[in-house]
Amino acid sequence: MSDLLQSLLVVLLFICGAGILIMPSRRIMTGLLAVQYIGVFLLVSVSWPLEIAVVKLVAGWMASAVLFLTYQNLLGPINADRLDANLSGLFFKGFAALLIGISVYSLVPTALRWFLGATSQQALGGLWLLGLGLLQLLLSRDSLRIIIGLLTVISGFEILYATLEASVLMTGLLAILNIGFAFLGSYLLMASNLEESP
Amino acid sequence: MSTPILWILLPLLVAGMSLFLMRNRYFLRWIGLAYSVVLVFSALLLPINEVFKFLFWEVKLSDQLLIFGRRFILSGADRPIVILLFSLWFFWLLIMDPKLVPTQFIPLSLAGMCLILTAYSVEPIFYGALFFAFLALIYVVLLSPPGLEPTPGVLRFLIFQILGMLFILFAAWLASWINLNRGNQVMLTRSLLILALGFSFLLSIFPFISWIPMVGERNHPFLSGFIFNTYFLGVFLFGTRFILEGGWIGQGVNIQGPLQLAGVIMLGFGGLIAIFSKHMGRLIGAVIIAEIGRSLLAISLFQAGFPIYFGMVILQSISLGVWSISLTQLQQGIQDLDFQSAAGAARLWPVTSSGLLLGYFALAGVPLLGGFPIYWALGSGLSFYPFWINSVFVLSTLGLIFGGLRLLGVLTKNTGEETVLILGDPFYRYLILGLNILLILIGFLPQWIFSLTRTISDLLLGS
Repeated sequence: MSDLLQSLLVVLLFICGAGILIMPSRRIMTGLLAVQYIGVFLLVSVSWPLEIAVVKLVAGWMASAVLFLTYQNLLGPINADRLDANLSGLFFKGFAALLIGISVYSLVPTALRWFLGATSQQALGGLWLLGLGLLQLLLSRDSLRIIIGLLTVISGFEILYATLEASVLMTGLLAILNIGFAFLGSYLLMASNLEESP
Repeated sequence: MSTPILWILLPLLVAGMSLFLMRNRYFLRWIGLAYSVVLVFSALLLPINEVFKFLFWEVKLSDQLLIFGRRFILSGADRPIVILLFSLWFFWLLIMDPKLVPTQFIPLSLAGMCLILTAYSVEPIFYGALFFAFLALIYVVLLSPPGLEPTPGVLRFLIFQILGMLFILFAAWLASWINLNRGNQVMLTRSLLILALGFSFLLSIFPFISWIPMVGERNHPFLSGFIFNTYFLGVFLFGTRFILEGGWIGQGVNIQGPLQLAGVIMLGFGGLIAIFSKHMGRLIGAVIIAEIGRSLLAISLFQAGFPIYFGMVILQSISLGVWSISLTQLQQGIQDLDFQSAAGAARLWPVTSSGLLLGYFALAGVPLLGGFPIYWALGSGLSFYPFWINSVFVLSTLGLIFGGLRLLGVLTKNTGEETVLILGDPFYRYLILGLNILLILIGFLPQWIFSLTRTISDLLLGS
């Protein structure tokens, strides 16, 4: 894959990661998550054969679909789709995402000494997702945002880890973990509406 | 047939199938009890890697299972762990009150036990970190029963466990790099630091302790008791195997110092939180934090510490069990679990309150109760190490006891209230009394526990 295409993918990943952090709409967040998995798949395919790398895309899209279908079936008003948001909060999150972007960019030369098989775009993309996912985890108390934050962190890790190891079992387990997170998110969203246990 | 199929895959299948029987909670509990007995006896009696006759068939139980090039091994030497885990499951099912505990506890707790065994048995061992992530997913569902919002403590638990998994996987990769570049001290230090960070997340070592009191305060006392008991046991088993099999000791690295430092910090925080806690859930969180510290200190003694550690596991299970069932029963009579709401509870419900007090004081290390001889042995082992370790050990124990005395004062306070409300079935009151007697008996006859735990640690270390 050409350097230019990889660089464009990295920009796409940053936009998706930052968008997930900022957007108050659950549906847009999930859509961005699905787009993010395209970038993850293509960056992983730099190190892995396409037929194994596609597992990341399939698992990611399944996870996004599970989350999306959960909101569709949730009872409640139409605007329940929007999580609490205010303008100053959005600016703060955007600024924090920008700071993460700049600081991670400065870390790439160091990261390349650790991830010897990685291209600079893979290192940058992986670290950006890790950073933005961690920021999401730090700033949010909402269970859905936390699940999506964890999915983002794991996506970043998967890009970096793909440059180190290509085990079928590991790939399968990480894919199941992604889908497991989506089901957990779905359960946590619905748990309070379910029939009460003792 | 192989041991991983018998003790991991089949129970996982049973756990999955029992999700469909959740409306029949009493039936499910009895089935669970029977199945746990079968699992324990199968681990006790079945020969491994030998042909034996089962009904009409000749069977050979292999000790390993190969999946995508990775091995899952449960050999004869691992029998004590299998027996311990399924005995714990039996114990928690036995003390569970189906009317007060969500039914999903039965299938999810079994799945949890299987995942702990999977993490313990997989080779290469670092794959175990991934299974702990799955375990965290299951325990989050367990702690968030239907009808209730997930609590912040549970979400924090999930975040910390997943971050821990990522750090351990990365550290394991770095360790393989060290094998190729022997003597590279920079890489060794880096990988050890990342590994320490990973295990700090998994074991909730300071500063990642916050979820423990949060879960203790806001979640169901029975479920949080079970998770405190089994999750940390699982992580310790995995961590011990990781250190022994990963060759970390062979690299000439001193892990005793960091283990003791982490243990002392946890003990210190546990003691401090116990002094200032005004909520019974947070109080047990404090004891759990101190127990993690004590476990780290016991493991830092290596061969001499393993029997002590397993003694602590047995004591912790009984104490947490009696505490959890008592608190679950008490919750029926009081509005909240804070000290103010619980004032005078011992005058109204003496048996239930006695379970709380004895369970707590045994874990705190009060003389004549079950914890005392075990912590005494730990203290004796630590007496050869620096003074500051021993001082924190003693001060923290005093802090825990002080917290317990405050609880005693609150529970026995005369509020002038009179009630005829009887809490729980007689079976659970007798159970609490029986477990109280057991805790006192262990205090007087600790040699029973130590002979058992010496056998367990000999079998494990001999492997």
